[in-house]
Amino acid sequence: MEKKTKSSESVDEVKDIDLGDEQKIDRAPRRFQRRRQGQFVPDYVDWKDIDYLKRFIPERGKIMPRRISGISAKDQRRIARAIKRARAMALIPFVTD
Amino acid sequence: MATNRTYEVMYIAAPETADDDIGKLNSAVEKLIKKEGGNVVRTDDIGRRPLAYPIRKKSEGYYVLFEIEGSGQEIAELERRMRVNDMIMRYMTVRVDEERKTADKHRTKREDRLSRRNTARRGGNESETAMAEEAQINQ
Repeated sequence: MEKKTKSSESVDEVKDIDLGDEQKIDRAPRRFQRRRQGQFVPDYVDWKDIDYLKRFIPERGKIMPRRISGISAKDQRRIARAIKRARAMALIPFVTD
Repeated sequence: MATNRTYEVMYIAAPETADDDIGKLNSAVEKLIKKEGGNVVRTDDIGRRPLAYPIRKKSEGYYVLFEIEGSGQEIAELERRMRVNDMIMRYMTVRVDEERKTADKHRTKREDRLSRRNTARRGGNESETAMAEEAQINQ
């Protein structure tokens, strides 16, 4: 009998932990900026066109992920490549503090 | 061997380099490319510009961009020389002909589709009708 109660207790504990986790998830929902629709990517992405590339570089200086920029995978690769080239030539910073 | 490639070569010279030296450097590049059988299509002297991050403890640089046509041999030689040049803080070569070609292809394809749609519809503004006429000539 004792054993049974113990086991049920432990089950309860586990449940409590689970609940806690759920609450945590509820508290901090991962909310991303909605995809920006209709982003226009030119046929030729110029690595020297910093003003254009800046659209894909948020505050921190990182390359904007595709789930946020909402552009096609192909375009994302081209944009990323252009940004990396511009970084190499000190046109765009690697990191912004 | 492929002979017609297009490259963009950009270099950053130290900011304290005299303008005369920049001029000499640029003419030297042109001479070298010609000698190696290439062709300098465009020289773009961008000038002094702040760097996004310090290079050799400098916060500014003198930017020059070349557009070069050739086989690639002259690029190899040019890079070799730039590497040993103390005035040049950084350089980069990007091959652009292939990306431009695909960009052109996409553009013509899109225009083609657009003009065909316009011939089917008829009318629209001036540029659209012009495009439609063009498409008719092509047929």
